[in-house]
Amino acid sequence: MSNYFYVSPEQLIKDRAEFAQKGIARGRSIVAAIYDVGVLMVAENPSASLNKISEVYDRIAFAGVGKYNEFDRLREAGIRWADGTGFTYSREDVDARALANYYAQHLGDMFTEGQKPLEVEILVAQLGNKFRPTKLYRVAYEGTISDEPRFAVLGGDSETIKGRFAATEEAQESLATTLKNAVAALAGPDRSIEVGDLEVGILEDRGSRRTFLRLNDEQVSELLR
Amino acid sequence: MGLPLFSANDDPGPSFFRFSESVGLNGPAFRSDVRPAHATTVIAVRYVGGVVMVGDRQATGNYIASRDVRKIEAADRFTALAISGTAARGMEFIRMAQLSFEHYEKMTDSALSLEGKANYLSPIIQRNNLTTPLMVLPLLAGWDPSHQVGRIFEYDGAGGCYERFDYSTIGSGTPFAEGALRLGFRSDLDREAALELGALAIYEAGDNDPSTGGPDFVRNIYPMMVTITSDGFQELEPEDVASRFRVINERRTLSGGNAGGSLR
Repeated sequence: MSNYFYVSPEQLIKDRAEFAQKGIARGRSIVAAIYDVGVLMVAENPSASLNKISEVYDRIAFAGVGKYNEFDRLREAGIRWADGTGFTYSREDVDARALANYYAQHLGDMFTEGQKPLEVEILVAQLGNKFRPTKLYRVAYEGTISDEPRFAVLGGDSETIKGRFAATEEAQESLATTLKNAVAALAGPDRSIEVGDLEVGILEDRGSRRTFLRLNDEQVSELLR
Repeated sequence: MGLPLFSANDDPGPSFFRFSESVGLNGPAFRSDVRPAHATTVIAVRYVGGVVMVGDRQATGNYIASRDVRKIEAADRFTALAISGTAARGMEFIRMAQLSFEHYEKMTDSALSLEGKANYLSPIIQRNNLTTPLMVLPLLAGWDPSHQVGRIFEYDGAGGCYERFDYSTIGSGTPFAEGALRLGFRSDLDREAALELGALAIYEAGDNDPSTGGPDFVRNIYPMMVTITSDGFQELEPEDVASRFRVINERRTLSGGNAGGSLR
C-alpha cells in the first residue's frame, strides 16, 4: 500500500496560492489606467520583443504578468477566441467581459485541478463606444475576476504601486499625465525607469477600426517630457 | 466557442485558416452538382508607383442578380483582393483573408510579407476549388513595403500562385480585357496612364462580355477603381471614376462604337 497523506482543502489552497504568488512576484508590474479618451497600459519590461501587452481585437487589449510562456498562451487563446467569434457572428459581438470570464474560468480550473496553478495575473481592457463601456477586467491566478473602475495594477508589488498611483490620480487626465503618473508609480520614489525598459500600449479612437497602438521609445519620451 | 487553448504540438500557430479548420469554423467541404455563375472582370495593372485595380460591379446568375457588387476589397492597408467565381464563396474568402492577415499580425506582432500573404491563400483556394464546385479565383495586388514596389499575384483553379510583372485579369471578361491590356501595356506607365488603360480594359470587357457590367450611365453605377501605393489602398472617388468612363464613352460614340484607329 502506498503512503497517502491527508492534506486539508484549506492547506492545499493556501499552498497553491503561495506558489502562484511567489511566481508572480518574481516579475515586474503593469499599470493600466483609463485616461480622458482611452486606455493606457504600461509595463516595466526590459525586453523589446517578449511583449506583456498586446492587441486582442478592435477595442480590446491584453496585459499579463508572471510566467511569460503561461500568459502568452492565454494571450494567443484570447486573440483566437476574439477573431473566431467575430468571424462566426459579427465584429460588434466580441465583448471583453465574455473573454475575461473565459480566462477566469480557465485560471480557476487550473488553480484547483491543474498540476500546478498558473503563475500569472492578467488584464483584459476594453475601450468603450456607444454600445459598451470602457472596462478594465483584472483576472488573478486563482480565477478571481475584478472590474477595476479607474486603474489596475498587476504583479508582485501591486499593493505598493496601487497606493502610489491612487495618490496621484483623481479625475481622468490626458495621456501624457496618466503615463507620467503610471511610470512614477511603477518606479517609486527611489529610482527611475529608462524609456527603453518601458512597454506602452494604448487603446484610443483614431478614426479607424483598430484602436490598439504600441508606442515606440520616441513617442514615450515625447509624452514623458 | 470556449477558450481555444492548444498544446504545443497541435497549436495551429498564427494562421487563422488552420485555427478555423481545427475548431470547425469553416463547415464541411462537400460536392454537389450546382453549377454556379461565373461572371466578373477585374484587372490589375502594375505601374511605376504601385498597382491599379479596376473591377466591374455586376453579379450574374441566369439573369443580372446585382448591379453594385464590390469585387475589390482592401485585405489590409497595403493589399487589395479581388474575387471572381461564386459570390458566396468569394465574399467568405475575402473575410477569411482580411481576418487572417490581421490575426497573424496580432499573434506575432509583425505583419506578413506580401509574398507570404500570396502563398498563404494558395491552400485555401485549393481546398475550396478541389473539394466543392463553388469555384473561387482571386487576384491579389499590393504594395510591397520591403521591396518598395507594387506586385500582382494571380492563381489557377488548383491554388497555384503566380506572380505577374505586368498585368493580370480574372473573370469571364478576361479575353476582351486582356486584349486591351496586351496592346496598351508599357513597363513605364504612370498612375494616370495605368488608370486609363485599366478603365479601357473594363470598358472593353463590359462591351463584349454579357456577364460583365460596363459603366451604367442610367443608374450612375461605375466600375470600382483603386490604387495600391506606398500610401496604401485608395479607392477613387465615384465622380472621378464616372468622368473617366464618360470620356471613353464619348470617344466611342463619336467613332461609332470602335476605338477609332488607336487604343483609346
